[in-house]
Amino acid sequence: MGEKTDVWQGTLALMVLRTLETLGPLHGYGLARRIEQTSGDLLQLNYGTLYPALLKLEQEGSIRSRWGVSENNRRAKFYELTKAGQRQLKKAAAEWEQTTAILARFLTPAEEA
Amino acid sequence: MRQLRALLLRLCCLFHSRRSEDEFEAELESHVAMDTDDGIRAGLTPAEARRQALIRLGGAEQARQAHRERRTLPWLESLFQDLRYSLRMMARNRAFTAVAVLTLAIGIGASATAFTWIDAVLLHPLSGVAEPGRLVAVESVTPNGEWVPNSYPDYVDFRIHLKLLDGIAVTHPATFSVGNPDHAERVWGELVSGNFFTVLGVKPERGRLFLPAESGDAQGAYPVAVISDRYWRSHYAADPGVVGRTIRINQHELTIVGVAAPAFHGSLPVTAFDLWVPYMEQAVLSGVQPWMLRDRHDRNMLGIARLKPGVTVDQARQELEALARRMAVANADVSEGMSATMMPLWKSPHGPQGLLVGPLRILMGVCVLVLLIVCANVANLQLARATVREKEFSARLALGAGRARLARQVLTESLMLTVAGAVLGVAATPWMSSALKFLMPPGPMQLLVAMDTRPSLPVLAFTVGLCLFAALVAGLAPALQVGRLNLSVKLNGGGRSGAAGRGRNRLCSVLVASEVALALVALVGAGLFARGFETSLHIDPGFDPDHVLLGQFYLNTSGYNLQQRKEFCRRLAERMTAAPGVTNVAYSDGVPLGFEPSWWEELRIEGYAPRPNENMNIFRNVVSPGYLDLLHIPLVEGRNFTEQDNEDAPGAIIVNQAFVRRFFPGRDPIGQRVNGWGNHWFRIIGVAKDSKYHYLSESAPPYFYVPFRQIYREDMNLAFYVRAQGDPENVLSTLRAQTRAIDPNVTVFDAVPLKEFIGASLYPQKVAASLMAVLGGIAVLLAAVGLYSVMAYWVAQRTQEIGVRMALGAQPADVLRMVVWQGLKLTAGGLIAGALLALALARAVSAISFTNSAMGVGAKLMGDAGADPLIFAAAAVFLSVLAALAAYIPARRAASIDPMQALRTE
Repeated sequence: MGEKTDVWQGTLALMVLRTLETLGPLHGYGLARRIEQTSGDLLQLNYGTLYPALLKLEQEGSIRSRWGVSENNRRAKFYELTKAGQRQLKKAAAEWEQTTAILARFLTPAEEA
Repeated sequence: MRQLRALLLRLCCLFHSRRSEDEFEAELESHVAMDTDDGIRAGLTPAEARRQALIRLGGAEQARQAHRERRTLPWLESLFQDLRYSLRMMARNRAFTAVAVLTLAIGIGASATAFTWIDAVLLHPLSGVAEPGRLVAVESVTPNGEWVPNSYPDYVDFRIHLKLLDGIAVTHPATFSVGNPDHAERVWGELVSGNFFTVLGVKPERGRLFLPAESGDAQGAYPVAVISDRYWRSHYAADPGVVGRTIRINQHELTIVGVAAPAFHGSLPVTAFDLWVPYMEQAVLSGVQPWMLRDRHDRNMLGIARLKPGVTVDQARQELEALARRMAVANADVSEGMSATMMPLWKSPHGPQGLLVGPLRILMGVCVLVLLIVCANVANLQLARATVREKEFSARLALGAGRARLARQVLTESLMLTVAGAVLGVAATPWMSSALKFLMPPGPMQLLVAMDTRPSLPVLAFTVGLCLFAALVAGLAPALQVGRLNLSVKLNGGGRSGAAGRGRNRLCSVLVASEVALALVALVGAGLFARGFETSLHIDPGFDPDHVLLGQFYLNTSGYNLQQRKEFCRRLAERMTAAPGVTNVAYSDGVPLGFEPSWWEELRIEGYAPRPNENMNIFRNVVSPGYLDLLHIPLVEGRNFTEQDNEDAPGAIIVNQAFVRRFFPGRDPIGQRVNGWGNHWFRIIGVAKDSKYHYLSESAPPYFYVPFRQIYREDMNLAFYVRAQGDPENVLSTLRAQTRAIDPNVTVFDAVPLKEFIGASLYPQKVAASLMAVLGGIAVLLAAVGLYSVMAYWVAQRTQEIGVRMALGAQPADVLRMVVWQGLKLTAGGLIAGALLALALARAVSAISFTNSAMGVGAKLMGDAGADPLIFAAAAVFLSVLAALAAYIPARRAASIDPMQALRTE
């Protein structure tokens, strides 16, 4: 299990939402680093792909952005969760848990046998 | 919901994409800067830290691209690019754009107009009625199979006994004089059965329509009227208080009970009526004798029935026919051999649509022809331009554009052209549609035409469909061509079109040939109709309409009784005869070759035993003594009517030669006795020469004349003829003045020279001929433009070849001959195809007949000129000359340039 996994479609949005929920407003770079760290460096995140995902979430109204100043005094664009985003996160997380639970049922007995 | 929001935002972004681009640039910059900072803090050199940051980013350009695609709608963006580019191309090639757009506008405008008419006449004959699909026309059928209107007693039987109907109503179009005697106005309306509005399902705009209680058959008991929305607005300024007001109709007071819904114009397609009065008021309003309404002979009611839901026309017709058979037996004295039938409204021979159906069908065909030529033209133009742009396309392909993208570009361009053409065409449609009234005969019918000339939704849909069709046809060929471009050959060969591809040459030849074929069909069609029209113009009507003024009076609207009418006629004739410039004066009920129905009478002829079921209804006219003289209809035997053939004298009758041939073969008719008009005896006093009565192409039917003073009745028309020494228009003022001198309240309506009036009987032919002439002209013009452009393009492609030939010693004359000869060969192919097509079409068209509202009988639109070789030959020669010219002009230009120049062109 040494190799890093690519982020597959659809989960990145969930990761972004969840990260923003726990850490509050964050800029793109910080988000990318945080997601990598949270995954225990198992994820190979191409930072460039983060931005279209952020744009999509923003267009859908789940997050909003504004310009601010980073901890190192750099001008950066900060993203934060909206009310709609919180709802969306709750829904997506529930769906995801259900999916993994179902998959787990399929996978677990196989290991027992 | 979220998707929708995202879509909208992306749409918005299309318009300020520059700003978001800059913003993203800044964001990326700050991202890399922060990453670099972290790297430096971890001990890397600034350069190395930045390099690693960029690697982790995964390529700034890819990130930008991904962001851009997410930010806006890429397909829409490239569509905008295509559109922008197309616009630029169109602006740069103004001549090409103008020709293509105008061509398309003509084709689409003409088709949309034709469809508007067809929609109004055939698909939605009546507006403002409920469920028009269940309405049918009911007609009586004579023993000869002719369709005629119904009598009121027959209607009552139909109404009582037919079970498959949700009601049947009858109507009789009529003119009314509305207002006080000193400023009366003539208004067209309908005398209707009381259930008329119920059967049609018309809603009132104000007040109410006729009540069930007013559907009765009691004469003169319902002094009420309904007015049209149009009349309400024009005469009452849309006053809501109009309900309950009194309206003076034919000098009798009726109460306005309501205003009909704005969309409702009456029960005749394409015709607008303004007034509806219960039929039972006719006895009061027109001074018609009460017994006439009970007369089964008096067949003047148009029937409209509503089928019960789920009942087909065929089922209802069977029930009606069975009933009519029983009625024919029960009323054998008047209805022997009669039957009845029903049909969809637009098939009814009565009213303007009877005239319009045939021409409209032809019009539709012609429009398809024009549209085909338009598409061929635009495809030609596009193809020619595609060749010019071959290098441009090759360059774009080389720079990485996809073939699909290029093809889409070409299709977008065609679509733009088509849309521009369509917008122009649709803008012209309302204007062209209102020209429908010019298809109607002059006089009252023209004023009555009411049609929604705004293109309706189906018309717009039809036009959009046409557009797409035209764009696809016009764009497909060049687009396919682009798809087939071979990149390396094009770029290397430098567009040396000597080998320009056999495929395209073949396509080009096919286009030239099809242009020629279509143009030939159009020309031959125009020629055949014009010829047919001209032939019928030269038919001798058997009477002399020159120098005769015809004036019509509507005396019943002035409240005249029978005695007053006859007195009026006598006095007016007296005064007119004495007027200067007038040679003869006469008056009658019917006008020959006119548009009013022609009446007949059932006769018994002494000494003639009719075969069983023989139709003894003979057409007739009720005329004053001077009538035959005035119209120069010679008497072949016996004497003419005189003033002595009056009410007190024994009945007199003059028959025509056909009458004699049929009923008195080999016998002398003079002095024989004939019985008609409810057992009156008439003695034959003369035989008149045959003439034309209903339409010019008829073969003389038996016909007879009876004296005005003996037979004239209140419900008859009054036509006044004045023969003048010079222009008949000159005596019009005299006629007006003399009329006013007798009674200032009487107005002369529809005074026209008889020659113009009888032109009405030629209307369907005239309409077909002029439509074909106009559209044929357009088609030929378009085909000529197309032919020229294709030929010019074809020759231009061979400039190099011509240069080589001339460098090798060919003379300009040789080159010219070669090019023109090849052009003619192509043309010949097209001519043969076109001739075959035209022959087939001519046969189909000669089968289309029109109905004359007077008769309800089919008459042919086109003579037997279907295979007139002269017209074919003339059209072929004309097109050949055109093609030769089209090839000659560019060929001469090609041959006149210096060979070296030609070789260097590329």
